[in-house]
Amino acid sequence: MEYTRKFTDKLSVEQMKIELLNTAYGNGDTLLAKLDPRTLFIWYLFFGITPWFIHQEPILIGMFAFMVVLTYFAKVSPLIVFILCMGLLGQGGYLLIVSLFFGGDAAVILPLLTLTLKLSVISLASIVVFCSMTPEKLSDGLLKIGVPGQVSFSIAYGYRMLPTLLEEYHHVFLSFRLRGKAPSKRGFLYWRAIVYFCKIAILSFYPLLLSMTKRARTTVEALETKGSFYGFNHPQVKKLKLAHLKLRKRDVYFLTFSVVYMVAVCLVEILL
Amino acid sequence: MSIRKERYTLTQSQKMMVFILSMSLYGLSNMITELVPEFQFGPIELSIEYFAFIPLTLCILFHPLYAAIGASLGEIIFGELMLGQFGGFGELEKFIAFSLAMYIAGILVRNPKSKGQVGVAAMTGVIIHQAISAMVDMMKVWVGVEEFEAVPGLAESVLAVEGFSFLNDVLFSGILFALLPTLYLVPRLYGKIEPLLGMKPRDNKMSYSIGAIVGPRLVAGGIVLAIAAFFFEYLSESGFNWEWEADFLAMFGDNFIWVSIAVAAITALFTVIWMRKRKNDQGQQERVS
Repeated sequence: MEYTRKFTDKLSVEQMKIELLNTAYGNGDTLLAKLDPRTLFIWYLFFGITPWFIHQEPILIGMFAFMVVLTYFAKVSPLIVFILCMGLLGQGGYLLIVSLFFGGDAAVILPLLTLTLKLSVISLASIVVFCSMTPEKLSDGLLKIGVPGQVSFSIAYGYRMLPTLLEEYHHVFLSFRLRGKAPSKRGFLYWRAIVYFCKIAILSFYPLLLSMTKRARTTVEALETKGSFYGFNHPQVKKLKLAHLKLRKRDVYFLTFSVVYMVAVCLVEILL
Repeated sequence: MSIRKERYTLTQSQKMMVFILSMSLYGLSNMITELVPEFQFGPIELSIEYFAFIPLTLCILFHPLYAAIGASLGEIIFGELMLGQFGGFGELEKFIAFSLAMYIAGILVRNPKSKGQVGVAAMTGVIIHQAISAMVDMMKVWVGVEEFEAVPGLAESVLAVEGFSFLNDVLFSGILFALLPTLYLVPRLYGKIEPLLGMKPRDNKMSYSIGAIVGPRLVAGGIVLAIAAFFFEYLSESGFNWEWEADFLAMFGDNFIWVSIAVAAITALFTVIWMRKRKNDQGQQERVS
């Protein structure tokens, strides 16, 4: 009983908004969060690509261990890690079952495990990097490496607007339920109820489309008044905005440590 | 007046409006679909893959390019980044595939009032997107597993799994969450939503410059990356690897790892240097102009 209540608590709209803000701003004091975004991008450029081209299990295991330790220090929310694990296991297991069906044998397991290991290294690297950046930091970092200003604006806008939008959608949804008539019979496996909710979920977007259109217009007009489009296209403005980004000693230490660690793992693999 | 009707041009701010609208709405819907549980009966997965009707409707009603790019970006920001599921480079592939599919769906429609055109465009958009993502998924297993063909049953199983999920997504999500809602929404919103953004409704006399397809640079980049991936894979399979082994086999065993790590590190370094350089160049050019 208590579990059910906890679960429904988690699913409420209020709780979701809190969770979202927590994911965005909750871990600003971790080790990785203090690094410069560019350091994290460079680091990710390596750990997001190389695992695809490595077929030696010991090295992959070494990388995986590194990622696990970093995930622990980055204080990634357990829910996200759980979702990731389920996804990886589900995909790998499914492929395994189907390939056994097609006449494979136990030899299939090893390549599939290696593939899962690779995928988990890559996904953990991205989780570690992108969870430890606040939205401001991420958008500043993207702006610095030459992504258009519209993108970094959109990130900031998304974080600011989402709670409002979610609430509005929820209101529309509830008023549809209030005025509509729920199916009196649930049907086999609740299919009537499911169809009813899906239909409302889609119909609720109709008023939202119209109100959001008005809001988009207001936003853009406000942006024009503030001269944001000038800022997107002029390097001086960008320079001023990004003056606080500096590569510090700890960035160098972090990158050096990663390189030393990888070299050590490779040495171990070669010597063994 | 007649000149203005020939081409469907938007001002900078109108483009931004379409972009923001598409981004926030599709992002919101993405967040909702992420939170709705999936129903799985054995291999048949009845999940709400995405509410594709939102970008489809917007691409049909407004300028397809900005609506498509906005929707893809919205998916990345709201559906992935904010839920802490950002996949890094994997998102690039999604971004390209989804923008391309929605853009094509948008330009297919000449007359938003015709139900036939809207329906065909909606299904085409979903099919293109699902086909691209199925191919990319298959490629991932192919590149990721060494000696792919040597593993018995794996090739068939990957094909079966991906083919099945493609059909499942097209027939289930495609019809229920793309085709039907789009057919419902487009005629109702046509002529109503455009004035809110201060623009005229599209009519069948308008044409687009197809040359402005979703960032040619992005597409080219994707192709180059794919070729690079296959190239490295080929290297590791063929003579390159073998020579190293022949020299050092007794002492070191498999030594190719050094090469691949060094290549990756150098690639990363060059990318960074290139980006810095390009940025500096651009900065200078803009200052001059």
